[in-house]
Formats: sequence, structure tokens, C-alpha cells
Amino acid sequence: MALSIPGAIVKGRTGFLVVLFSLFLVSMIFLSLSMGYIRIPITDILQIFLAKAALSVHGLQTMNETHLAVIMDVRLPRILSCAGVGAALALSGVLFQGILLNPLADPYTLGVSAGAAFGASIAILLNLGNAFVSVPLFAFAGASLTLFMVVFLSYSAKNPMAGLSSNNLILSGVIVAAILSAGISFLKFIANEQVSVIIFWLMGSFASKTWSNVWIITAFLGIGFFISMFFARDLNLISLGPKSAASLGVDLRKVTFILLVSGSLLAAVCVSISGIIGFVGLLVPHMVRFITGPDNRKLIPLSMLSGAFLLLFADTITRAVLPHEIPIGVLTALTGGPVFCWIFKKNRFK
Amino acid sequence: MKISLNHISFSYDADAGYADMIIKDFRGSFTAGAFYSVIGPNGSGKTTLLDLISGFLKPLSGAIEIDGAPVFSFSKKALARLISVVSQDHTVNFPFSVKDIVLMGRHPYIPRFSPPSTADLNRAETVMEICGMRHLQDRKINELSGGERQRCVLARALCQDTPILLLDEAFSNMDIRHTLDMLHLVRQSVKEKNRLVISVFHDLNMASAWSDDILVLKKGEIKAFGNSAAVLTAETIKQAFEVNSIVEYSQHVQAKQVYYPIH
Repeated sequence: MALSIPGAIVKGRTGFLVVLFSLFLVSMIFLSLSMGYIRIPITDILQIFLAKAALSVHGLQTMNETHLAVIMDVRLPRILSCAGVGAALALSGVLFQGILLNPLADPYTLGVSAGAAFGASIAILLNLGNAFVSVPLFAFAGASLTLFMVVFLSYSAKNPMAGLSSNNLILSGVIVAAILSAGISFLKFIANEQVSVIIFWLMGSFASKTWSNVWIITAFLGIGFFISMFFARDLNLISLGPKSAASLGVDLRKVTFILLVSGSLLAAVCVSISGIIGFVGLLVPHMVRFITGPDNRKLIPLSMLSGAFLLLFADTITRAVLPHEIPIGVLTALTGGPVFCWIFKKNRFK
Repeated sequence: MKISLNHISFSYDADAGYADMIIKDFRGSFTAGAFYSVIGPNGSGKTTLLDLISGFLKPLSGAIEIDGAPVFSFSKKALARLISVVSQDHTVNFPFSVKDIVLMGRHPYIPRFSPPSTADLNRAETVMEICGMRHLQDRKINELSGGERQRCVLARALCQDTPILLLDEAFSNMDIRHTLDMLHLVRQSVKEKNRLVISVFHDLNMASAWSDDILVLKKGEIKAFGNSAAVLTAETIKQAFEVNSIVEYSQHVQAKQVYYPIH
């Protein structure tokens, strides 16, 4: 049964859209690889890939060594991390909007970002070990702890049906996030000279990402995608409200819990790799819903491709087009915010 | 098929005393091939009773059995193939089309990762046809009127095609023509498919005209339960609703009807 996933997705219009969006993404990756401080022609990039694929040592030796290093060690890991994070944020957004029955929910609604930021701030402040390891690790731990705190707050053993409702979850998330924000402010206040490191980290960046980042995000994304597609139809039914969904055979508590944890861990791993990048998780599912409608079986794959494309587009602009690299989180919020305002106004009052 | 409730008590607050229970020591059974109505004043526990039967809520004490097997011994999917529910809340949070919603009724029959089978699609088509919703099939659910949306939800439950159908004020927003059409459909399936229908009504005359048996609830207790004509009396109505009424057999309806004198 599991083997028929492509059969279920790649059919008719949706199949065509998946192929089309994948082509956009691949073109964007090549375009982004060629752009930057050193311009590298796409033919050279293709040659590098072909030589790598064929494991041809001779082929690689005859190439421009700088180009090879720039592509394989600098740009490709950054680009793939960025695309992976974009896809993961978009997927996380789809899951949160579906579970919380709220089109305004995003990966950070439950305070995951505040938790990650708090964790990262502690690691930076205490100067714990190798910053490349400890900061992401603390960010991830902070995000996960926040999630469990939020679930704990909104869960009631006495009345399990009312527990984990979207209202309870959102409210708990808001409370926990507010406490953590105050905590972050306090950490900044006592941080002295490290305050700039904290602030810069919080604004998000894909600079100097390595292959290990690529593998981590790919692993999380793969598992997250499988779980999401596994429960995609249940997620559709959840939008009918809890009673109707339960009467159609959805195990509400199980599905809500699994998808909530998946969405939060995806968001947590994103924050730990690249800091807080807003609006991708909110905006992408919204825009894709205009094309696919609300069916999560179509929404999930297409949102992931679009999220990857959009974040990579933004990162390429800040890396290769702007005279000075600005933090990606700032760029997405500055451009995504107004776009969201426009979509919101257009749809609410049409 | 038979649903039996043995000494069921329920409260949302597990520490509540007996007097505060929403359902108090409920004993009764429902058998297939009959249309049951549940009537009673607001807050008498009608919806809670349906939620307990559908397995959405767990009783604090007592057991609910379907043909001798406890409701909670069924898997969620298996239960969804036995019982379909039309709840009062028919808001849908994302703009699915009417066709999508009706097809969701087939969810318990479609394996994971599989598209709906031809049989599933045909069932959805048939149901939309008999519910007179074909012209609405591509409309978005959140753009429909309350009555149309309610019809769509009932169509979804009929598409689920279960031996037991629980209706919680499923006709409250429909115009009279659609109410009668839909009741006719449901009534027909009781006779033809030997279905078991339990429907919550506020309109006592509708309940009397369409049901075989009537259950009168007040404060979580059974005030009367039995054949419609026997249950529906001015005394029972006075007891349950605290209103004066005149109950007469109507030739036109071929059932008892209730009149409320204005004083």
C-alpha cells in the first residue's frame, strides 16, 4: 500500500503541478549555484555534477579548483539547507493550520520559536563548547521542551476530549511564548558584549551551512513528509470539527498528537539550523491553497516545493544580488508581511 | 442490530455528584428497523446521549453495547462503519467542495494512500443525486447557506452508509420541503435497509409524525420511552417541558399532533 504513494499523488492536475514545481525548484537551484561573488556558468556546474556522478577523478582534476570548492563546499550545502528548511517550514505550517483549524497558525504559533531562541541564547551566553554544535543543539532542546510544556498545559486527563483542542493549544502557546520572550529579554540584558551575537543569530542566516546541516534537514523532512502524507486524509477530516471527524473514524488524539509533534520538531530543526525565519510557514500554505484547494494530499507536496523555492529565492537575493547580505529572517518578514496583508485584505473583504 | 445502554451515567466533571450528572443511570435499548426520536428541554442530555452512543464520550459508569460488544471494543474505523453521526456543529474550517465533503463519508472504507474506488465515487454520486445536491457539488461548503450545508452534512452521513444513523437536530436549518424530502429518505432507509435511526428533535410534531418510538429526556433521566402514540400525551409534555398543550390524533398526519394554546 505504502508503495502506491506516487500513484495517489502523481495523477492528473496535481501530478502535473508537482512536476512543474519541481522543475522550478531545480532551475532555481542551478541559477542560485551560478550566482554570487564568483559567477560560475551553468555548463561548468553541470560538468562538475556529471564528473561527481561518474566518480571521475580525472574529470574533477581538469576543473577549475576554485569553482569546484565554491560549488561543492560552499554554495551547494547552503542552497540545499535553505531549500530543505523552506520545505520543512512550509510543511510545518500546513500541519499547524490543519490541526489548529486556523489559517493564521504557523510553525511558531505554539511558541516553538521562542523556545528555540531561548535555548540558543543560553548557549551563546554561557559560551558553551563549540558554538556550531551547542547553539543548534540548545535551540532544538528549547523548542522541544516548549512543545511538551504547551501540550502538558493544554492536556486534561479528566476531560481528554476537551484537552488538545485548538483553543487550548493556541492559548497555552501564547502564554509559554510570552514567558520565554521575557526570558530572552532578560538574557539579552545580562549578556553584555554577547548581545549582538544573540540578536544576529535570532534574525536567521544560511551563511556557512555545511553538508551535515543538509543531511539533518533531509532526514527530518523525509520522515515528516511520510508521516504527513500518512495522515493527510485524517487532517482533511479534522477540518469538519472534532465530533464529525471522530464519527468518520479519525483517532483525534493520536492524529493531533503525532502531527503536532512532527510539525514542532520540523520547526525546531529549522530554527536550530538557520535561526528564526518568519512568514514562510504562514504564507506558503495560504498561497498554495489558492492553486490546489484545501485537500492536504495535494497541499503538502506542493507547499513543500513552493516553500523550498521561495526561501531559496530569498536567500539567493540576499546572498548574490544585494550589495550587502541582510539576515534572511528580516528579508522574509519584510517581503512576506506586506504580501500577507494583501492576501488577507483581498480575501476577507471581497 | 441492537444498541443497549446499561446503567449509563455521565458528567463532564468526573467528581460531580449524582444530582449533577448530565445522564443519570440510563437504561434502555434501541433496535434496528426503527426510527427513534429523542425529545426534551434544552440541557436535558439529548446530545450527550448521542455522543455516548457514538463513542465520542466515555460514560463514567455503565456499558454501551452494540449487539453485545462494548462500543469501545471496536476500532475507530470499525465503529465508523457502524455508526454515522450528523452533529449540530456543521462548520467546516477550510473551503472544501460539496463533493469533497460527501466523499469524506467514504473515509472509513478507503485504505491509506489509496484513492477512492469506483464504488466509493458512485456511492457519493448517488447520494448527492437523491439529496438533490448535484447542482451544488462544486460549490465551496463555506459559501452555502445553513440549510444547504446541513443537507451536505446529512448527505455525507448517508454516504457513510452505516446500519446506525444518529441525527442531532439534523433538519433544524432546512426549509420545509427539504426537511420532508430528507426525512423521507431517512425513513425509507429504515424500512429498506433495516437501519437504526436515533434523531434529536425540537419539533414535537415532526418527532410524532416520523418516528416509531419517542424517548423523552429531562435532566438526564428518562421521563417516557416507547411507542410514539403512547408517549406523546399532554401530561408527559407538561412534565418534561412545563408547557400546556392539547394532543390530538391528526387524520392528515396519521399521527398525534401537539397544539399549544395561547393564553
